[in-house]
Amino acid sequence: MIDRIPSGFNPFVIPFLVGMGFVLLYCAFGVVRILFQLSREDRRKFFISLVNPKTALKNIRDIFCDCLFHVKLWKRNPLLGYMHSSIAFGWFMLILLGHIEVILFVPTRINLFYYPIFFNFFVAETDQTLRGALLFFLMDFFLLVVLSGIVLAIIKRVRSRLFGMRRTAKPSVINLIGLYALWSIFPLRLLAETFTAHISGGSFLTGPANWIFRQFLGNDLHYLPTWWAYSIVLGIFMCVLPFSRYMHIPAEMLLIPMRNAGLKIRNARKGLAKVQVYSCPNCGVCIDACPMSAGKENIKDCTVYLTRQIRRGNEKRIAEISDKCLLCGKCEAVCQVGVQGPEIRIQQRAIREYSINQDYSDIAALPVREAKVLYFSGCMSKLVPSIGRSVESVLRKAGVDVEWMDRDGGLCCGRPMLTAGRTDEAMSMVHKNEEMILASGADTLVVSCPICYRMFKESYNLPGVRVVHYSVYFDELVKAGRLHLTKSDLCYVYHDPCELGRGCGIYEEPRRLVGQAAAIAESDKCRAESVCCGGSLGSLSLSFRQREKITKASLENLYTSKADAIATACPLCQATLSRYSDRPVRDIAEIIDRQTN
Amino acid sequence: MADFGFKLSKSSTLDLDKVDLKVYNLLCKTDPDIKTCMACGSCSATCTAAPFSGMSMRKVILALQRGQDVRPMLGKCMLCGKCTMVCPRAINTRHLILSICKCYD
Amino acid sequence: MKDNIVIIGGGVAGMEAARQLIALGHKPIIVEKSNSLGGHVASWYKLFPDMTPASEIIARLTKEISDANVFTGTKVLSMTKDKDTYSLTLDNGVTIAAKAVLLATGFHLFDASKKEEYGYGVYDKVITNRDLEALFRGEKDARIDNPKAVGFVHCVGSRDLKAGNSQCSKVCCMTAVKQAIEMKEKFPQAEIYCFYMDLRLFGKKYEDFYINAQRDFGVHFIRGRVSEVGETFDGRLQVKAEDTLAGKPLKVQVDTLVLMSGMVCNPTVSDLVRQARLDIDDDGFLKSRNNIFDILESNRPGVFYAGACTGTKTVPETLAEARAAALEIHNYLKDG
Repeated sequence: MIDRIPSGFNPFVIPFLVGMGFVLLYCAFGVVRILFQLSREDRRKFFISLVNPKTALKNIRDIFCDCLFHVKLWKRNPLLGYMHSSIAFGWFMLILLGHIEVILFVPTRINLFYYPIFFNFFVAETDQTLRGALLFFLMDFFLLVVLSGIVLAIIKRVRSRLFGMRRTAKPSVINLIGLYALWSIFPLRLLAETFTAHISGGSFLTGPANWIFRQFLGNDLHYLPTWWAYSIVLGIFMCVLPFSRYMHIPAEMLLIPMRNAGLKIRNARKGLAKVQVYSCPNCGVCIDACPMSAGKENIKDCTVYLTRQIRRGNEKRIAEISDKCLLCGKCEAVCQVGVQGPEIRIQQRAIREYSINQDYSDIAALPVREAKVLYFSGCMSKLVPSIGRSVESVLRKAGVDVEWMDRDGGLCCGRPMLTAGRTDEAMSMVHKNEEMILASGADTLVVSCPICYRMFKESYNLPGVRVVHYSVYFDELVKAGRLHLTKSDLCYVYHDPCELGRGCGIYEEPRRLVGQAAAIAESDKCRAESVCCGGSLGSLSLSFRQREKITKASLENLYTSKADAIATACPLCQATLSRYSDRPVRDIAEIIDRQTN
Repeated sequence: MADFGFKLSKSSTLDLDKVDLKVYNLLCKTDPDIKTCMACGSCSATCTAAPFSGMSMRKVILALQRGQDVRPMLGKCMLCGKCTMVCPRAINTRHLILSICKCYD
Repeated sequence: MKDNIVIIGGGVAGMEAARQLIALGHKPIIVEKSNSLGGHVASWYKLFPDMTPASEIIARLTKEISDANVFTGTKVLSMTKDKDTYSLTLDNGVTIAAKAVLLATGFHLFDASKKEEYGYGVYDKVITNRDLEALFRGEKDARIDNPKAVGFVHCVGSRDLKAGNSQCSKVCCMTAVKQAIEMKEKFPQAEIYCFYMDLRLFGKKYEDFYINAQRDFGVHFIRGRVSEVGETFDGRLQVKAEDTLAGKPLKVQVDTLVLMSGMVCNPTVSDLVRQARLDIDDDGFLKSRNNIFDILESNRPGVFYAGACTGTKTVPETLAEARAAALEIHNYLKDG
């Protein structure tokens, strides 16, 4: 293997160099800017995590699993997983093998940036070696892998249903340019390497193809233009990359270490949020997942469109999309790269200025009787009185010394205010509630509303007080033998409330309880995949009429279980579902209360 | 001015010919449901903030419709959303409150 | 006259229409899904405005339609049109070819447990207007034990988009006033509170009832929709509303809370409606061709309506419609 061109240069590499240089500069500049946008504390945390061997190792593992192998996508949809990982991993291997080739055969050229990419143009094969054959074989093999991915991508663009996707995001013009450039890179590479295969050597793909072409192409005049074309599409791809969805490729490599460093979104338009926005690959998995898209409505309000509008800076649409969302968290649960759609929206809401600001600090704390166990039912439970009544009844049956702290009303937990983006107001409520709870001397706070529960878990500082959802607490009481359940002959399907399931990760205890009090069935989509009831306080702007379709779609999913009744553990879910349900909707507390004596 | 031992107080009559409905008209655009309120009082009765402050969404909407200043009436709203849940006319009162908090400058 | 006329529904509308058709020389067939005639009225004790016992009305109608062909405990499975004749298949295997069909399918009483905040089915002491009539008729009801205070909640499931019914049920205000008086007569020491949004007392003598309730029975009328019902430590009900006239939140403890369940469309007719391709109005009730002149006519020739199947009605209105429908059918068959 020898260098064929003494200067080691040909003008056709210029488009590639321009593109590559542009991308590298853009990304370097972007990284610096984003790091400066982080708070001092977050930046410190980030750098420490980079040198911490444990997180560093995890970063590398995650980058390989997520960016190259798309493990999460494989689990969700193997065909899509293959498509993405074949392109990503195949391309990565082509680049890696290109470098190995340069190191092995022309080590003097390793400082030339473009050499590994256009290796086959610059070298001539002098003698065939096993090492060379193996490398050429691998190069052809991975090129084939990438090409198979490209073919799938083309099919998917025409027929997304074949890939189990009902709806995908509509690509913008710049994305289309990037897409077509990406599609043409590898066929052109195949063609270019084929044409030079009799000089540089080839393997099972490029070798025979070269022989076929040489049968009817008399001279070598066509091969330089092909290498030019290959370099040009590479250049185009690199130049549009920062402005297209392909930005997700470099952005994700920053997002993974940032996530592993434990950073949180503090501003919807800066720092981590910005990296997430750029990491969105526009795959559109969130569209089918979004409960608002029931009946083909609100499709342009899904997270994929939020990231797109943020990149475009369309403030009107950003505000609309942010206000409409139910914050059910499903887009985040299905997102392959980990874009936190709900949190970005909450922080976007927080940017808005209000001229009337609420303050609760002067409210006199309500007296709470001293008790070991406090029960907080929350505002919404007042509208579904069966819940509080049943929780209290069950606790008394188990002999728990319980005090219902907001029996006659109390302060809101603050979460509705927090999700509206009004953090200071929310925290003002939080401090007032903390004061009351700590004054009671209780060591356990039982909460029945998942919205409140999440707030107590995430935003309250209650030293010495265990915050527990009643389903977990009841489950413990049953295990401890303090509650004895009898089985009814009803069959329930359990609807996971968003805040309890995806929000707090509580899936098993409610099912175990219902399963001990009755038969239990599962619907098509359950646990992390469950469909929001549509009643969520997360949405600020969805009207009652718009919510109707969402609720009905949620019920349709629950009906797939063929259960006689629906069980849930959230007052808002119960009130919303029972509005249109053709079968009874009951809270778990009520079911347990009926089946204990 | 000489003190005659009494003073003229401002008329307490609502003069509909003179009221300033700027804020209300603005809200009719962002939250058109506001027009359908039938003053049943459900929102006020269920309000979490009412026991602390006497907050009443019904009064807020009425005051807006009569061109009065509602700024002092929302200082304790907790945005809990119960008023929206109970409204028989399905008015999104929660969004309305945010719109009101936003529209004064 | 040999043409068959089928009346679907054996409530007061169906019975009265049958009575008139018999008088006009026809022999109508009544198909009633429950085991007895009389419909909702049969479960009522006394009817306003004259406090006539409902049983008297039903007894009189039953006697006068003894010539009609009555299928009780029978449902109509299908109704299809063939030229100018409707073919009705019943669940007892009978098939009837009818020239004219009268839908007197009435209404459904709103399921009060759907308004969870009122606690029907959760608290023993919360009952509905129908439960109360049963008590008046002499049925035992352990839930009502010499109450010291009684609340009536108007508009339960009526004028309520959240409950899926934006219409006013029209009769509940008057029923509440009537039942408040009856309650006070039964339990003279009880304080009675009526929670209303608007008092819609439009009919003959209704205003007199209102005045009586205020003057002679001391019923308290509170303008405010109840939003929550809670329970006190000693097991009484805590009712929360806003006194919108006083402009203050209001709470009161009661021992019995009566929910005035409204009238909603009858969902069991939806199959028939689909088969016969009848129009449904926005409120879910059957749609008349015109709400002034052709209120008894459907969009299909030969299919007529009477009573609460087209919207909320009082008993006198229903009876008047039934009579008019009988005449419409008579004329239709004569011309045809």
